[in-house]
Amino acid sequence: MLSYYFDLAFRSFRQNKVLTALMVLAIALGIGASMTTLTVFYVLSGDPIPNKSGRLYHPQLDAESMSGYVPGEEPAEQLTRFDAEALVRSGRADRQALMASGAAAVDPEDSRLKPFYVDARYTTADFFPMFDLSFRYGRGWSASEDEARARVAVISRELNDKLFDGADSTGRTVRLDDHEFRVVGVLERWRPVPRFYDLNSERYGEVEQVFVPFSTSRDLQLSRSGSMSCWDDAGGDETGLNAPCVWMQLWVELDSPEKAAGYRAFLENYSEEQRAAGRFERPTNVRLRNVMEWLDYARVVPGDVRLQLWLALGFLLVCLLNTVGLLLAKFLRRSGEVGVRRALGASRRQILSQFLVEAGVIGLAGGVLGLALALLGLWAVRQQPAEYADLAHLDPVMLSTTIAASVVAGLVAGLLPAWHACQISPAMQLKSQ
Amino acid sequence: MDIRPILSTLSRHKTAAGLIALEIALSCAIVSNAVFLIGNRLERMAQPSGVAETELLHILLAGTARDADHAALTREDLAALRAVPGVRQVAAVNQVPFQSSSWNTAVNMQPDQTHPTLVGTTYFGSEDLLETLGLRLVAGRDFQPDEYQEFAAFQRSGGESPIPSVILTRDLADRLFPDSEPLGQSIYAWGNRPSRVVGVVEHLIRPNDTVGAPNEREFSMLLPLLAPTEYGSRYLIRADPERRGEVMDAALAALDRVYPSRIVLEEQTGTLEAFRDTYYQEDRAMAWLLVVVCVALLVVTALGIVGLASFWVQQRARQIGVRRALGATRGQILGYFQTENFIIASFGIALGMALAYAINGALMERYELPRLPWQYLPAGALTLWTLGQLAVLGPARRAAAAAPAVATRSV
Amino acid sequence: MLQMQNVSKVYRTELVETHALRQFEIHVREGEFVAVTGPSGSGKTTFLNIAGLLEELSGGSYLLDGVRAETLNDDQRSRLRNEKIGFIFQGFNLIPDLNLFDNVDVPLRYRGLPRADRKARIEAALEQVGLASRMKHYPAELSGGQQQRAAIARALAGEPRLLLADEPTGNLDSHMAREVMELLERLNADGATIVMVTHDPELAARAQRNVHIVDGQASELEAVTVPLRTRSHAGDA
Repeated sequence: MLSYYFDLAFRSFRQNKVLTALMVLAIALGIGASMTTLTVFYVLSGDPIPNKSGRLYHPQLDAESMSGYVPGEEPAEQLTRFDAEALVRSGRADRQALMASGAAAVDPEDSRLKPFYVDARYTTADFFPMFDLSFRYGRGWSASEDEARARVAVISRELNDKLFDGADSTGRTVRLDDHEFRVVGVLERWRPVPRFYDLNSERYGEVEQVFVPFSTSRDLQLSRSGSMSCWDDAGGDETGLNAPCVWMQLWVELDSPEKAAGYRAFLENYSEEQRAAGRFERPTNVRLRNVMEWLDYARVVPGDVRLQLWLALGFLLVCLLNTVGLLLAKFLRRSGEVGVRRALGASRRQILSQFLVEAGVIGLAGGVLGLALALLGLWAVRQQPAEYADLAHLDPVMLSTTIAASVVAGLVAGLLPAWHACQISPAMQLKSQ
Repeated sequence: MDIRPILSTLSRHKTAAGLIALEIALSCAIVSNAVFLIGNRLERMAQPSGVAETELLHILLAGTARDADHAALTREDLAALRAVPGVRQVAAVNQVPFQSSSWNTAVNMQPDQTHPTLVGTTYFGSEDLLETLGLRLVAGRDFQPDEYQEFAAFQRSGGESPIPSVILTRDLADRLFPDSEPLGQSIYAWGNRPSRVVGVVEHLIRPNDTVGAPNEREFSMLLPLLAPTEYGSRYLIRADPERRGEVMDAALAALDRVYPSRIVLEEQTGTLEAFRDTYYQEDRAMAWLLVVVCVALLVVTALGIVGLASFWVQQRARQIGVRRALGATRGQILGYFQTENFIIASFGIALGMALAYAINGALMERYELPRLPWQYLPAGALTLWTLGQLAVLGPARRAAAAAPAVATRSV
Repeated sequence: MLQMQNVSKVYRTELVETHALRQFEIHVREGEFVAVTGPSGSGKTTFLNIAGLLEELSGGSYLLDGVRAETLNDDQRSRLRNEKIGFIFQGFNLIPDLNLFDNVDVPLRYRGLPRADRKARIEAALEQVGLASRMKHYPAELSGGQQQRAAIARALAGEPRLLLADEPTGNLDSHMAREVMELLERLNADGATIVMVTHDPELAARAQRNVHIVDGQASELEAVTVPLRTRSHAGDA
């Protein structure tokens, strides 16, 4: 029976080529636009570290002075160096790493290469195991190397390719800002999307190419970048231990909800202690968000991307309405045919199925064309200057979603017209004709 | 043409008419908001920066010269740059428009204010900065040589070394001193000592207007400080627009002669015009996208109207023949379908306007957009009405061309 | 009232030329009730279309109530049709989306009459055919005879000089057919000029005069001897 409906559907398409093409095109445009924007949205709002995002937490404290205090306001997104170091030292979490961003001039051994700048991250030993980083060569550094302000560095695979032609460079020397560092590890490629651990710049950018111990970076006064906010005069030393400035990120790993609750209590307790000691002036106001909560709070998906998604969905809705209207016209034009079929013994159900098959096939055709349009759309997104541009690719999930969505769209669009068509009474039609 | 019989006919084809009306409503709502958004983006892009964009070059050198005497090096660099042929003016600077890095400070009117009046950005660098940027002074004067001090020295003082003077943008001056003359008054911007307003410039945007609300984009001030070099050396060169390319090459060569093998940060070295272009690229892309969506929406809606009108014409072929037999002229048949479309469009537009306001409300909440100006509504209505009339013209003409003899044809 | 001289009508397609009417002559005087008969394919419908100004003639001349029809453009013909002719179709051709009042209103609208005038005419016309109480009904809610009577009311409302009826009883059963025929005869008795196309000789016999079309040419049959009025009175008795 179904094959008969398909046969009827194709006959009907041949009869109304222009109308059919219009409907397919309308669905394709709507689906193409929606899937393009939905894919971008899906990529940008994804979980950057799916295995651990529920166990990684981002603590916030309110260390500012009373100046500008507004009760109920969120505490600063970053920490002071004093607090970050104190919390890492306390070791209350399963793992903890403080970090800050910077930049360093790399002076290659190979004299044919000119010196160049790379982004650097100054952090502590737990960074690598906590974020599940895998190493191509070597390993991360140890807590004792943090302590000793060792001149060690972990470099990205990209930098290793550039400086050492991809060879195992552990034990070799890399010159950063005129200082010699021993390479202890080379990372495998890592691209968390978004770059959740530090959202101050390039939220969807690449990960840094050089990692060195934070203690070493302060020792050598390596240059710092990223956002910094001071509420008092730092006397020319904003990165000093006691500077009234927030500029560091801290991440902790807490393997169970109980531990998370315990750590929150610890943060409150710490804040109270600091208040008692006179370092904190504001009432205790701490936050402990896991990765997805943090991304949500930071509104990481760009507003324009959300706007485009809504726009595309609105467009799809108009395209669907259009298809409903055209299908209605098409089906009702065949009232006579329906009357005859009904007179010849077709049930309402059978008429409904016939027209739904036709609508579904239109949806499918629209989906295939829409997929092509979505690929074109994503190609266009990749040509954009946005930092997330290179991430806009269709994955198998979105691909199958596209096809499924368009068939569903076709069926939904066909439902009302098909229902109308199957309401046609056989007697009425035959008589008035 | 009297509309009652048309209404009566439409009321017997509610579903089809309703669908088209709904489609028109959605198109109307989305298009009015999209056009509004496009207007917003264009407005943002068209706002003056206040600086001589077409004449400015910016160079950023990374500060590898770690042991050098920075102040002396900066003076040498500036002298070398001034000597480059084609250079009109040169200044050191801490930040430039259309770049992501910016220096911001709270601004207070009293020394011990608990809540800052506002947060603004601070431009400084070297003497001649105001002229090099090409700012237009609308009141007061530029800084005098004895007002300048090294940023490092100021910082070491712990905010106690006074910054004697400050130059504000007109926008900032109006905000801080709404009812009085700003010249001669004092503000507390950086440090605990007052700075006297000595000048007001017409325009100067923040390096990055994503910091602060849209109406704070000109919260900028100039300070008589000499730029620090620990974050690298930034220089602004004002040159003949035609000679920018050669001046840039010569300037980089000159800087290399002053102190060899400093790293030029390519991304932040170039013309202000190019920076501006990159800076607004996303806005431009978004505006184009909105244009494309609007056109696509209108085309799809028009096709929907054509499709449904064609269906109706075909369905009513006999009725049209009868009307013709009863004496209707072609023009009257044409008029019938156009009036019918006008009525459907009007229902759609009425609904669309309500929807447009609802969408605008949601956008206002999420994107800090202003309220949709009422002028957009009649404009949107007119667009959809015109679109409907044009779309229905083809099918209606076909209907009008139908031979009246259809009426006598037996079925 | 209606005079055709040497009228011809040729339909051309890519392959064939069909001469639907040739040297066609007919003359209908004011107040007459003329039946046009003939077998199917003889040119009856073509005659009707030309008489009703629905189609243009290929040759000859056609004088309708003193107006030369062959020189008119489409709009002028629409106007003339609207003012001088009342159509009664075999399939009634009421507009299904409009109620009876609005259906009868259609030709009056095209004439652009003021509202009050239209209302009076519609009510009078519906009264005349006995459907005044069904004004708000839609065609689908009426019997075939009632629909045809409504169609006649629509034809009458414009006070035409000429009623053109195309197989007016063709879609009706005998009872309803008689009803409609009696209505037409009464209208004729009140002074209306009627041209009725039919293939039914019995019906044709009730007209005052018969014109027979064969192969696109007309031949006048002998006049009916019995005056129509007498016959109709006899029918009533």
